[in-house]
Amino acid sequence: MTMLRVIPRLDIKGPNLIKSVQLEGLRVIGDPNAFALKYYAEGADELIFMDSVASLYGRNSLSDLIRKATDNIFIPITVGGGIRNVEDAATILRSGADKVALNTAAVANPELITMLARKFGSQAVVVSIDAKEISENHWEVYTDMGRERSGVSVIDWAKKAEQLGAGEILLTSIDREGTRKGLNIELIKLVNEAVKIPIIASGGVGKKEDLVLLLQKTNVSGIAVADSLHYNRCGLAEMKNFLSENNYKVRNF
Amino acid sequence: MKHDVVGKYNLPTDVIYCKKCTISNQRPRIIFDAEGICSACRYSEYKREKIDWNQREQELIDLCNKHRKNNGEFDCIVPCSGGKDGSFVAHQLKYKYGMNPLTVTWAPLKATEIGRKNLDSFIGSGFTNILGTPDGKTTRRLTNLSTKFLGDPFQPFIYGQTNFPLQIAVKHNISLIFYGENGEVEYGGDMKNAHRPTRDIQDHDKHYFSGLAPEFWQEHGVSLNDLKPFMSPKYEDIKNNKTEIHFFGYYKFWDPQENFYYCQEHTGFIPNTERSEGTYSKYASLDDSIDGFHYYLGFIKFGIGRATSDAAHEIRDGKITREEGIALIKKFDGEFPRKYFKDFLAYADVTEKELEDVVDSWRSDHLWEKVNGEWRLKQTIWY
Repeated sequence: MTMLRVIPRLDIKGPNLIKSVQLEGLRVIGDPNAFALKYYAEGADELIFMDSVASLYGRNSLSDLIRKATDNIFIPITVGGGIRNVEDAATILRSGADKVALNTAAVANPELITMLARKFGSQAVVVSIDAKEISENHWEVYTDMGRERSGVSVIDWAKKAEQLGAGEILLTSIDREGTRKGLNIELIKLVNEAVKIPIIASGGVGKKEDLVLLLQKTNVSGIAVADSLHYNRCGLAEMKNFLSENNYKVRNF
Repeated sequence: MKHDVVGKYNLPTDVIYCKKCTISNQRPRIIFDAEGICSACRYSEYKREKIDWNQREQELIDLCNKHRKNNGEFDCIVPCSGGKDGSFVAHQLKYKYGMNPLTVTWAPLKATEIGRKNLDSFIGSGFTNILGTPDGKTTRRLTNLSTKFLGDPFQPFIYGQTNFPLQIAVKHNISLIFYGENGEVEYGGDMKNAHRPTRDIQDHDKHYFSGLAPEFWQEHGVSLNDLKPFMSPKYEDIKNNKTEIHFFGYYKFWDPQENFYYCQEHTGFIPNTERSEGTYSKYASLDDSIDGFHYYLGFIKFGIGRATSDAAHEIRDGKITREEGIALIKKFDGEFPRKYFKDFLAYADVTEKELEDVVDSWRSDHLWEKVNGEWRLKQTIWY
């Protein structure tokens, strides 16, 4: 049985941690560093920092924040948002990130996945997929913080990303993101069965039972959580204890 | 024919941009002070620093106490499309302040699927709603006329949006009408209402109808019978009903983004599947497939597109910085509404060439120039 990695996801805009709903809205939650340190101390397995509006605004600006965060945080860190080329990725990795996540730039230029995988290794390349259900059981890839349709099917894109050298997929359900209505199990299952590389499921966790349900229905190895943690609705310890009680393996802290 | 945009809207011919937000002095009725700051930004500071919101809430409670009927009858009207703003107002009034609101919707010219879905969710979350749907033939005729003569296809909708709640108020003897924010004050315009909760019905022609009430279209052969649904009730009937129009934004701190968070939780509101053309947002003005042309023609007349307006208020609200706003404007402002272009031409019964002529007739020389055969703004916030 795989161990579930519970991964706090921090969406960043400028100096702030923000939280959207269905990738809309920029409500400020607080200082991203303070939240990152808190989640590290509480036993997060990894962290995701996502400058969600980077492509929309045509910039990337997380390297300073990452440099600061990695001074005191010693778990794997994935950073995404506005990474357009090998140099951008190198800057982020040099700042202390372990993996970079690509969405908009990879959709525009899929070769970028291969270039990064060759240079930094597949383990450092995460393809982030924002998936929107456009008809029953059919999901399309969106870019620019869920604002632009790509015309590409999520399943096709996940397979292609794997072939091109991605080491992991961060899969976000736009329909569930920020809603606390539960994960989109159908979507997660479909993508997970289509590829061999690990999936981090994201979007919709509202209660600790959602994590157990995910493991009952799929063998996904990572779960990204934001709303529940940021708003203090359900903490990392509570989630992990509940997984243990249900006989699922977690890394205890 | 070229319209005198400067004269009609009383615009300054030197374009300047507010130093704090992204709005320019081309927005009708906006005021810039000696420091180059617009009236909307000044009001935004005032509302954050000077207003005692506890006292304002007490005023709201007093107003509700005065109007609450508790006898099964509706005691206030909330005009609401099912969008985030009206839904927020209605939900607060009913579930926080114990009022019994009748919600009133004026049908979009050409409704979108998502707009209808949100209205249904809103009604489903606990509200009685009256939907006013005017005769489609007349509405299309008025859309055609107002596109050609006013350079704004949206005028027939604005008539109904403004006048239908008044008709319902008079018909049902409800004297309190609650709107969301006062656009003139929040987004720039006439500041006379900044410190009072109500608006004057006499201002409707000037502020909402470009100076032309629905009756005007009789001159173009539209019959009084056909215009009646778009018209205001008789002024004396409005007065005898003791009708008062209040702005919720006077009583409670108005933050459109927070209304979105509120409504996705309480009234089942969902944002659009993609951004609206001409801007970056997914949660505002998404119920009518025609309104892209309303915003586009606003961009032609004033050089102010939808992204400029959205960015300006999000900067005032502290959601984005001015620099971020400018990046978004550069990317999206003035984008042509291609998605529903053919639908719009068919609906308004105008040809592509006719529309192009209308658009060009509203391009003022002080804003536009032709460079290598292409129209471009002489000046923008980024060049």
